[in-house]
Amino acid sequence: MTGAPSGRTSWSWRPRCGTAAQTRPASPCTAPPRERGYVVRGYLADRDALDGTLQQVTDLVRAQGSDLTGEPSWDESGQPHVLFRMEVDELPGLKGWVDGVEALPGTEILSVGRSLEIIKDVGDAREVDAKHGVSRLQGTHALSNMRLATESLVSPIASHPFWARPFPDVCIVHNGQLTNYFTWRRHLEREGYRFMSENDSELIAVWNSVQMEAGASLGESLSASQEQLDGVFTYLLGTLDGIGMAKDRWAIKPLAVVDEPDGIAIATEEQALRSLYRDEVSIINYDGPLMTEIWRRDAQREGAAA
Amino acid sequence: MSALLQGSSAEAQVVTVEAADRPLREVNREIREAVAAGHRVEVVEPLSRHNLAVGLTGEGHVTFRGSVGYYCGGLSAGGAIEVDGNSGWGTGEGLSAGHITVNGNAGMSVGAAMRGGTIHVRGNAGPRCGVAQKAGDIVVEGDIGYSTGFMSHGGRIVCLGNSRGSVGDSLWEGVVWVGGEIERLGIDAVVVTPEAEEVAEVDELLASVGVDGSGLDWKKVVAGQKLWYFEARDAKQWLMI
Repeated sequence: MTGAPSGRTSWSWRPRCGTAAQTRPASPCTAPPRERGYVVRGYLADRDALDGTLQQVTDLVRAQGSDLTGEPSWDESGQPHVLFRMEVDELPGLKGWVDGVEALPGTEILSVGRSLEIIKDVGDAREVDAKHGVSRLQGTHALSNMRLATESLVSPIASHPFWARPFPDVCIVHNGQLTNYFTWRRHLEREGYRFMSENDSELIAVWNSVQMEAGASLGESLSASQEQLDGVFTYLLGTLDGIGMAKDRWAIKPLAVVDEPDGIAIATEEQALRSLYRDEVSIINYDGPLMTEIWRRDAQREGAAA
Repeated sequence: MSALLQGSSAEAQVVTVEAADRPLREVNREIREAVAAGHRVEVVEPLSRHNLAVGLTGEGHVTFRGSVGYYCGGLSAGGAIEVDGNSGWGTGEGLSAGHITVNGNAGMSVGAAMRGGTIHVRGNAGPRCGVAQKAGDIVVEGDIGYSTGFMSHGGRIVCLGNSRGSVGDSLWEGVVWVGGEIERLGIDAVVVTPEAEEVAEVDELLASVGVDGSGLDWKKVVAGQKLWYFEARDAKQWLMI
């Protein structure tokens, strides 16, 4: 159930479109967040069912009085499972639509957002990039995670980052383990939220989104999580506006940050940052208890170490 | 590039080892063999990699030209290590003999469970410095993180700067010396007035690593011993949160 005690979590901001000449299919460089409509990333367990499933998903979009705004695309790896991408117009009943799509056999929505796109697969970073053209994506901020599966499935859908179903544009990567996971999961399920995995990290994303929907700011939600969520965690919460970070009172999970004029890079371990910065560079370690930080897309920093 | 020998004399050779992306076993084997033979080793491009120079023996000397990752010098029973940069978690964990100098800052759990030797951090040390330390000495010229000395069984942690919270929590016979301010003592930690000869021993330790600690107002943190034997009436002491 855990989010990988030895998992590696990182986020980097790159001011440019990826240049790596990767194989098809093209993941288009995304523009700034859409004014309307969503980009949807999905998972289907059985590639043979792709045509029928995409048609059913499209029907569900149209049942919302909406429509696709572009041709769907998918990976052509030939593996049994397939990841697909769609662009759709406004979805007035987004939650119900997500429920409907995920009721289709073997189908799971990986993300919905004005700009959020979650791509996750089995294999190392190079394999996943080669398959899905991750490095071609353009944007202001990104989260990534290499997961060592410990207490839940080895599968793309059990991997990080998790989408905060059904909240658009919110996702999480998390290093640690919650000890009051089942208590909170039962609580949130009674309120109608659904979880696609047995992974505690998924819960943290939904938990924060519920706080923010109720009016909490990102910072308030992060601080509240330190009180309400029990266990060990350092997590990065991705939102449309940037990235929030919180760590628990024991602060056993590390976080190392480089904040340079050419961007900000965050990782669990300093050695990951050395792949970007081989020469000496100032490393900021967030190693105190109950720390929070917010890195905003517009670069206005606010943070607090309580 | 692998180990590069310079100089013709069999003694006092300088061996250059590149870490970078090479397999760690190879890098460590080269370091270990050179140190065991008493050579000086320069490691270039350490790139904050983990587990560098673990398990050293002998009288040689290693200098890392850059920062190192977790557990640098861990489980060593000899050798001298100098890190020309920062070090990650668990620097010198399980050290039984030898000397480690970190010229920058050190991460969490410096000298965890060490059984001997000396670790000298010129900058700050992270949380849980000397956790479960058994013996040996840790000198930190800067500040020490929270829960320094947590459950330390023995040995000395000497900090010239300030201590973050929860210092000396659940100590056994380990001792934490703080020259600056203590933010907050840990559970069952008490500050006692040190004997003159104990201060002299600390000064001697500091002098041995080229540090002047004179004029500091030493706080010697030791166990209050209330946690050593559980009694129901002390239960509140055990509530850590």
